[in-house]
Amino acid sequence: MSPRFRIALLALAGLVLLPAAARVIAALPPFGSTIALYGERINAVTPEARHVANMVSAINFDLRGLDTLGEEFMLLAAITGTVVLLRGRRGEGTTERAMRLPGRAVIPRSEAVVLGCRIAGPLTCLFGLYVVLHATVTPGGGFQGGVILASGTLLIYLGEGYAGWRDSIRSHWLDALEGGGALLFALCGLAPMLTGAAFMQNILPLGTFRDLFSGGLMLVENLGVALAVTGGFTQLFLEFMEETREAEEPDEPGEESA
Amino acid sequence: MSVLPYAVAAWLFGVGLYGIATSRNFIHLVGCLGVCQSATYVLLLGLGYRWGSIAPIFYDHPPGTPAVDPVMQALVLTDIVVGATLTALLLVLTVQAHKRGGSLDPEKLRPMRAGGKSGRSQGSSRVDEPARGSR
Amino acid sequence: MTAFPALLLPLPVAIPLVLCAVILATAHILPGRMPDILAIGAAVSVAILSAVIARHAAQGPIVYWFGGWEPKDGVYLGIGFSVDEASGWIAAFIGVLYALTFVFAWGFFDRTHGHFHILMLLFLAAMVGFSFTRDMFNLFVWFEVMSVAAFALTAYHLAESSLAGAINFTVVNSLAGFLMLGGIGLIYAQAGTLDFEGIAAAVAHGGRDPVVAGAFCLVAAALMIKGAIVPFQFWLADAHAVAPSPVSVIFSGSMVSLGLFGLAKVSSVVFAGSDQVQQALPILLIGLGSFTALLGGWMALLQRHLKRMLAFSTISHAGIMLAGIGALTAGGTGGMLVYVVGHGLVKGALFMIAGILLATQASIDEIALRGLGRGIWPAGIAMALAGLLLCGLPLGALDQGTRLVQGALAQQGHGIALAATAIGAALTGAAVLRAAGRIFLGLGPDPGDEAGAPSEDEREKANRPLWLMLAPCCALLALDVAIPAEVIAQALPRAAAAFMHRPDAGALAEGPAWLPWASVAAGLAGAGYGLFRNRLPKVVVRPVSATQSAPTRALEILHSGLIGDYAAWLAVGVAGIAAVLAMV
Repeated sequence: MSPRFRIALLALAGLVLLPAAARVIAALPPFGSTIALYGERINAVTPEARHVANMVSAINFDLRGLDTLGEEFMLLAAITGTVVLLRGRRGEGTTERAMRLPGRAVIPRSEAVVLGCRIAGPLTCLFGLYVVLHATVTPGGGFQGGVILASGTLLIYLGEGYAGWRDSIRSHWLDALEGGGALLFALCGLAPMLTGAAFMQNILPLGTFRDLFSGGLMLVENLGVALAVTGGFTQLFLEFMEETREAEEPDEPGEESA
Repeated sequence: MSVLPYAVAAWLFGVGLYGIATSRNFIHLVGCLGVCQSATYVLLLGLGYRWGSIAPIFYDHPPGTPAVDPVMQALVLTDIVVGATLTALLLVLTVQAHKRGGSLDPEKLRPMRAGGKSGRSQGSSRVDEPARGSR
Repeated sequence: MTAFPALLLPLPVAIPLVLCAVILATAHILPGRMPDILAIGAAVSVAILSAVIARHAAQGPIVYWFGGWEPKDGVYLGIGFSVDEASGWIAAFIGVLYALTFVFAWGFFDRTHGHFHILMLLFLAAMVGFSFTRDMFNLFVWFEVMSVAAFALTAYHLAESSLAGAINFTVVNSLAGFLMLGGIGLIYAQAGTLDFEGIAAAVAHGGRDPVVAGAFCLVAAALMIKGAIVPFQFWLADAHAVAPSPVSVIFSGSMVSLGLFGLAKVSSVVFAGSDQVQQALPILLIGLGSFTALLGGWMALLQRHLKRMLAFSTISHAGIMLAGIGALTAGGTGGMLVYVVGHGLVKGALFMIAGILLATQASIDEIALRGLGRGIWPAGIAMALAGLLLCGLPLGALDQGTRLVQGALAQQGHGIALAATAIGAALTGAAVLRAAGRIFLGLGPDPGDEAGAPSEDEREKANRPLWLMLAPCCALLALDVAIPAEVIAQALPRAAAAFMHRPDAGALAEGPAWLPWASVAAGLAGAGYGLFRNRLPKVVVRPVSATQSAPTRALEILHSGLIGDYAAWLAVGVAGIAAVLAMV
């Protein structure tokens, strides 16, 4: 189908969809006028019921924890898929030589960059840890903090070079981190069932409102998510970084069934 | 304007879909998918907003202060994770497609050739220096 | 504190997830076959637990609230699972299908440290969660988890054609996810809650509301994309053809049907109170379903790549299932539920046979395989039986589902749809029978139209004995044939009524008894035409090929494999649904 035909189809669809969208938008409640009853009720009930100040974390780890469990495992699936797809082609070996493109100079790392990364790296990881720990009192949580921690590891690559990066980041540990974090989260769901409560019910002591240790089981789940996200995203960076290495042997167009 | 966020969401989705339909580069296609996804963010967050309300974090404000809808924010958080995973997977597929087929053009990458000829006979054209260089 | 059967509800989702995490965490330590054993154990436990839940749900749907957040003052605060009898049995069927697939895939993926099993277990958990949930956003989350696991599993072979198929699959299904999320946002804005019952009450109160119609349009489009209904069906052929055979078994056996299962649940539970939606449903679903059945069947006949042919056959049967939902009766929906199980069993067996051919004969091309199947004749018998069952042979669960769907369509007076279901089944059965005749009997030297169809040199790892691959295939066929029809017929009116949240209306109507036989006869005739074309008189052959070639070429051009085309057709499809909703 030529691009013209595609645009014609899109235009045809637009002819129907634009008036429909206009009608739907006109029938929606005006922007900013009201929020849903569900949200209102959560804002009213949760600070008292769970001693937490961050409503979003409470929803993610307590009220709608099952959604977060599914989403956590979805992240795991995507990263597993990435690993399989990239490693299946490349094999499991690693090499020190970076790929070179003809006509592009390789600029050696400057000392300012190294110094900057050595200062910024620990600061970033500290900040990531802060975001993870204060899930129930300030904006943040396991996902956000985990991504910050993972990007902190990239500063190791920038500062120490590929050799330093490879020495400190081992794929097996990352697998264990990822799987362990997800397992911790899943067990947080099952463990309350052993004491007769519901799946993922908050059975730990709830702590004090606006304190670091508030929310009970939410903190354990938060930790699980942070471990899994850190491990997962670092694994992702590792796999993509390996793609920039020069292959040991030339690529063989052979059979590649897994 | 009380309908602007929703109109923006509809516009973003339409533009993203147009981009996917007419894309000539896989990286561009992944970006357009991201634009489609931004449409859902705008829609959800717009539906959950209320004028004069604080963020749903009662650290600096007492509980009971009118706050925006936390459910929508939690939904968008999940959506962002979904988006990150999809982008990662698609970029990996793109990298592999480029390695195997030598091209980033969706028009040139077909699932199968008609008549039983192997797909490999058309791939691996290593005339791809410009393609590699033009990141 | 919750009573006994309700306590079981989280387990069929939690057990595969826990085992998935365990296998990942210990990926490099686990001895060789442990992931296979753990996976089979997980699937079997899911099947048993779901069957127990389904037995208990016969008295009424079992409800479970996560996190202890029971509804208070009519406000639903937490996520709930609500399992009625039908959903429970579908989950049990899924468990059985996975268990047999893991047996089939034993040793297939030994280079990847259990990553295949991680993805498949996650896929299993998501499917069970999708069947059990009563929360719209939770439905979306399991939908996305299913999709992501499927995306990762599709591209295993890493050949160029695998990558294109995987990219098309990923982009189209991601767009489906975004559409669904948009629909959920809209309905949440109007209803103020995410629970099925809560939304249903709000929708019933609301009257004719464009937002509700818009939300239904988006959610239905998303589920129809997953269910491979025209004009969203293009991705299925690409994805199926390139995924490894164990993964294809799951795709056609349960993933596509689950999209339609979700559509049935959402339209009969959540949007039951909207007259606009309920009036649009018969036109929309029956029209699209009939067209899909015919298109899928015709395209199946035109294929030479076995898995692509089976993919189009799945599209055709998805159309039949959609028409069953569109009848809006307990008979139609009940028939569709039985059809999901029957079709899943038969189609799964056929994909296993395709895998056997790939492994033992190193080819999947019907024409290249001509006559080469004589050495593995038990597979040929299985393939012939499966082909006859697809045609409509009056035996087993698939036939029971077909008769109930046809009965519902006949009762509502949809004659064209009735004919379309019979013709679609006949066409797909003819394609499978023709392939079986060609591969295992060496018939059909004259290729015909299918010679111009896309195909690829493929092979799969040949490290498993034939009996290990054939046994799960025969088990699936045996299950389809041997499930006692009286048991289903007795439980189905009650189960279908509970699924649709309607009072039990008594026995379900069945279609005309001669119709399945007509389908079988037409299927055999179609297969015979394909196989014996060179011996038939010219007066028969020439008009058939003359009328066929132009539309055939047009259809093949449409299925181009280009993502841009698919995106354009997706827009057209959503516009179509919106147009139907606007017109009623």
